[in-house]
Amino acid sequence: MPVADDIQSSWADEVEIDLGALPPPSEVVENGLKVVTEYKYDNDNKKVKIVRTYKIEKRVVSKSIAKRKTWSKFGDSATDKPGPNPATTNVSEDVSMQFISSKEESQRPDDGDLDGLKPPTSRVIFKCRTCQGEHWTLSCPFQNSELAQAKANEAAKAADAKAGTTNKYVAPFLREGGAGRGTGREQPGARRDDVAAIRISNLSNFAVEADLEDLVKSFGPVQKLYLAKEKSTGHCKGFAYVHFKFRADAAKAIQLLNGHGYDHLILNVEWSKPPQNN
Amino acid sequence: MKPLMLQGHERAITQIKYNREGDLLFSAAKDSKPNVWWSLNGERLGTFNGHGGVVWCLDVDWQTINLITGGGDSSCRLWDLETGKNIATIKTKSSVRTCNFSFSAYQAAYTTDRAMGHPCEVFIIDTRTIDDSISTQSPILKWEITDSKVTSMVWGTLDETIITGHETGDLIQWDLRTGKKVHSIKEHTHQINDMQLSRDGTMFITASKDQTSKLFDTSSLELLKEYKTERPVNSAALSPILDHVVLGGGQDAMEVTTTSTRQGKFDARFFHLVFEEEFGRVKGHFGPINSLAFHPDGKSYASGGEDGYVRVQSFDQSYFDYTFDYNRD
Repeated sequence: MPVADDIQSSWADEVEIDLGALPPPSEVVENGLKVVTEYKYDNDNKKVKIVRTYKIEKRVVSKSIAKRKTWSKFGDSATDKPGPNPATTNVSEDVSMQFISSKEESQRPDDGDLDGLKPPTSRVIFKCRTCQGEHWTLSCPFQNSELAQAKANEAAKAADAKAGTTNKYVAPFLREGGAGRGTGREQPGARRDDVAAIRISNLSNFAVEADLEDLVKSFGPVQKLYLAKEKSTGHCKGFAYVHFKFRADAAKAIQLLNGHGYDHLILNVEWSKPPQNN
Repeated sequence: MKPLMLQGHERAITQIKYNREGDLLFSAAKDSKPNVWWSLNGERLGTFNGHGGVVWCLDVDWQTINLITGGGDSSCRLWDLETGKNIATIKTKSSVRTCNFSFSAYQAAYTTDRAMGHPCEVFIIDTRTIDDSISTQSPILKWEITDSKVTSMVWGTLDETIITGHETGDLIQWDLRTGKKVHSIKEHTHQINDMQLSRDGTMFITASKDQTSKLFDTSSLELLKEYKTERPVNSAALSPILDHVVLGGGQDAMEVTTTSTRQGKFDARFFHLVFEEEFGRVKGHFGPINSLAFHPDGKSYASGGEDGYVRVQSFDQSYFDYTFDYNRD
């Protein structure tokens, strides 16, 4: 290390360096790696530090190549230092080979996106407003005929209809089609599922789904079965809903099970009521 | 694999070549200074300053002593590789389109364009001793080609013939003892942009504007294989170690602005030599690839593009592990 290390620079000098010239570039070689540090101003006039790390490799080559290695640089590279000059040599980002496995892929015609650039020769780009033919409206053969008049009326109507629909934002549930869904919730019995659903109450605390299934499956195919349970204990809350596939089966179940004794309790079975809104 | 980007040129690359041992990579471009690089780390060894315009072609002899270049400034120049000095300058009447040393480097051939009222001509010169006298010495042999322009050229076996590829798609083999046609075939319908010999020189591959690349026997000019693409092919190279072919091309430079860099256009495309089927692609350039070269050890390749960059790409292990599935119907 140079002797200059002993001399302490004053803080004023350091400030001077910060404001003024860039720190000198350095080059450190250790453990087979060469680290080159440079400073420069970028496009935004900000100071940037560039650190390049090179790996130093030894390779055994033939005599003629080794001899060529000793050649000195010439031409525009005459002033370059040993090693790649970052102005002319760079490492690009990683690119890997894409293997094409299928035959179709390699023979696929790839002019898809060029179509948009070509003038559409086959497609007709203009239409007669009167008869939709492939000519200008001006040169339409039906220009002064009845057809033209009818078309004109139609167009006027369409324009009116269009004017009726405003350009304002409409919330989805207020739009056409959305209305039915919004109101459907309020209407009792609107839910299709409820049609064949029954409510069984006054069930024993120890009833499980298997018991319930045994109880109702004799009436007909069951779509859905819900047994209300206490979350903490897992015991039955005392009621359950059964959705039958057919309304007739549900009616039969109500008729037979209502008032039926089950597990020392008298069951109460009725049509399931849609949830009441408060 | 991270490719090396060599940015020594200001304009489109016209031709790149490795020397026989593969330690040096030469590049010529439409600017006036051909470059030479260490292929291993991409360090630039030097530039050959002297041409006054486009440099269309270059070739290096087998011992890596001299370089021959030809350019649009109507000159063919010989350079000393160690110092980068211009040893001799042969003035021609029109621009030099192709130039090649013979295998022994006892002779070199160059062809000129049909332009400015001058015909397309082929010249064979003696290069056994390369010094200033070459600038003035008359060629050993020269002949005119009246019907079409030569756009690419390679030396045939034993330095006895040369094969020229023409603007019209013709391929002609010439006997150097007589200067007469031996074989003449027309397998391409458009200009032949590039021809490169296989490692042993028994076959060569052409790259044509007619969107195909074809493999021929060097002595009989028999058509062996054909590789089809959807874009003009600017350059094709044969792998020295595997049965692989790499093609590079793309839209013509003048049509580039109307296209995108979408997949498949400016990629280097790898075909199987025998089955003529594409099996891989490597992206990279922003414009068409103008010249391709395999490293003589087959473990990397370089491509020079219309974008002015040379990319040296070494292959991943996956490339060597890949086997072509030929049982497929």
